[in-house]
Amino acid sequence: MNMATDFEPIIRLSAYIGGGIAMGLGAVGAAIGEGYTAAEANMAVSRNPKISGDIFKNMLVGQAVAESASIFALVIAILLLFLETPSAGELKAAALFGAGLCMGFGAIGSGVGSGFPGGNACSGISRQPAATSRLTTNMLIGSAVCQTPAIFSMVVALMLIFMDFGKAPTFPTWAALIGAGVSTGLAAIGSGYGGGLAAGASCEGIARQPESVGNVTTIMLVGQAVAQTPSIFGLLVSFVLLFKSFPESTALSASMALLAAGLSTGFGGIGPGIGNGMAAEGAVRWVARNTEHAGDLMRTMLVGQAVSQSTAIYAMVISLILIFVV
Amino acid sequence: MEAIRHTQKKYASRAMVAGICVALILILAGYRTLGKGVMLGAVFSVINFVLIGATLPFNAGRSRKQATAVSFGSIIFRYAILAFPLVIAARGKSFDFAATAVGIFMVQIVILSEHAWKMIPLIVHKRS
Repeated sequence: MNMATDFEPIIRLSAYIGGGIAMGLGAVGAAIGEGYTAAEANMAVSRNPKISGDIFKNMLVGQAVAESASIFALVIAILLLFLETPSAGELKAAALFGAGLCMGFGAIGSGVGSGFPGGNACSGISRQPAATSRLTTNMLIGSAVCQTPAIFSMVVALMLIFMDFGKAPTFPTWAALIGAGVSTGLAAIGSGYGGGLAAGASCEGIARQPESVGNVTTIMLVGQAVAQTPSIFGLLVSFVLLFKSFPESTALSASMALLAAGLSTGFGGIGPGIGNGMAAEGAVRWVARNTEHAGDLMRTMLVGQAVSQSTAIYAMVISLILIFVV
Repeated sequence: MEAIRHTQKKYASRAMVAGICVALILILAGYRTLGKGVMLGAVFSVINFVLIGATLPFNAGRSRKQATAVSFGSIIFRYAILAFPLVIAARGKSFDFAATAVGIFMVQIVILSEHAWKMIPLIVHKRS
């Protein structure tokens, strides 16, 4: 690394801690997701050993896609450990630490969530071998969409790593940078997990009623899209914290207000993300049993998600008050 | 396990071909470090994919907790290997880091592209 001499130790320290957090937390979600897929595959093989080859194939492909979130975390961790940051100021230390937090937290939900479609597809193949191709395709779509919150986290982490904060005042900008990291990172947990619930239920639904694949996939995608909203709120607050200029203030309260803004939307997004995923899971599961009422189920899901979303909106409003008013 | 070997062979060979083609195009266009980065990443993406298949027998026939523990160990081991090309790209100037990062997703890109390609006729048929 080639850093400004005065701040080199603290920047290096932050980058190493950030890298450790990014990879450590990033591995947790994918491991749980892959473990779930493997466990369901075991059950599927014991139920229908004759098609164990198809089940293992599906498990292999599902696990390969499911671990994308933790590979994002690996990329960020390596960047944090080896990136050259020439002439970086002390704010870079906060930015690199925030980047590690953002990617580490952000990979958890997507890692766990993308294990659900993999596991349920294996289970579905054992019940309905004729629908193997449809189940694998649906599993991959669901699993890929689950990665979106982790991608948001990676984008914010990259911005924190590469943006130049040289002209900004150290106080309170350091708190804004860490707040930007935790806002997207934490909010992504719920959205990733919730999206996985919807994708998992869709595989179960297709196995139950293969002809319902069109309705099931459509409702899954709509449900997943709405489940991503809390992580978009997190992303929005992160962008405000990254791009807004804050007047210099050595008062601790000014810094804490910006950190709290990130924490508010971050924590506030976890529950609604999971709740939205549960609403989508229910709609997807039941539309496979009753395709004639797909429209009614979609409307019920959307209304339920809108209400579940309200707490994330409250959290975002508090964040914006903390940023612009306090 | 024959089915796993067949799947691994199919996607690993496609990922390698895709990596070589992209790398050749980039090198011929004058972006040598980008091309080398994609190729390096693709090679390790394939190694990672082969290792996922190699650890599958350790998952089979175990409880959910044991399968999760084995997966966690497998991830740590495979990511230590996946980190190798990224460290080389980050420390030296021969390989572009961003291109190497894209390269390590080559197997995932090939899997998703194949299924997206299969869906196109279905969507066209449905619309007509």
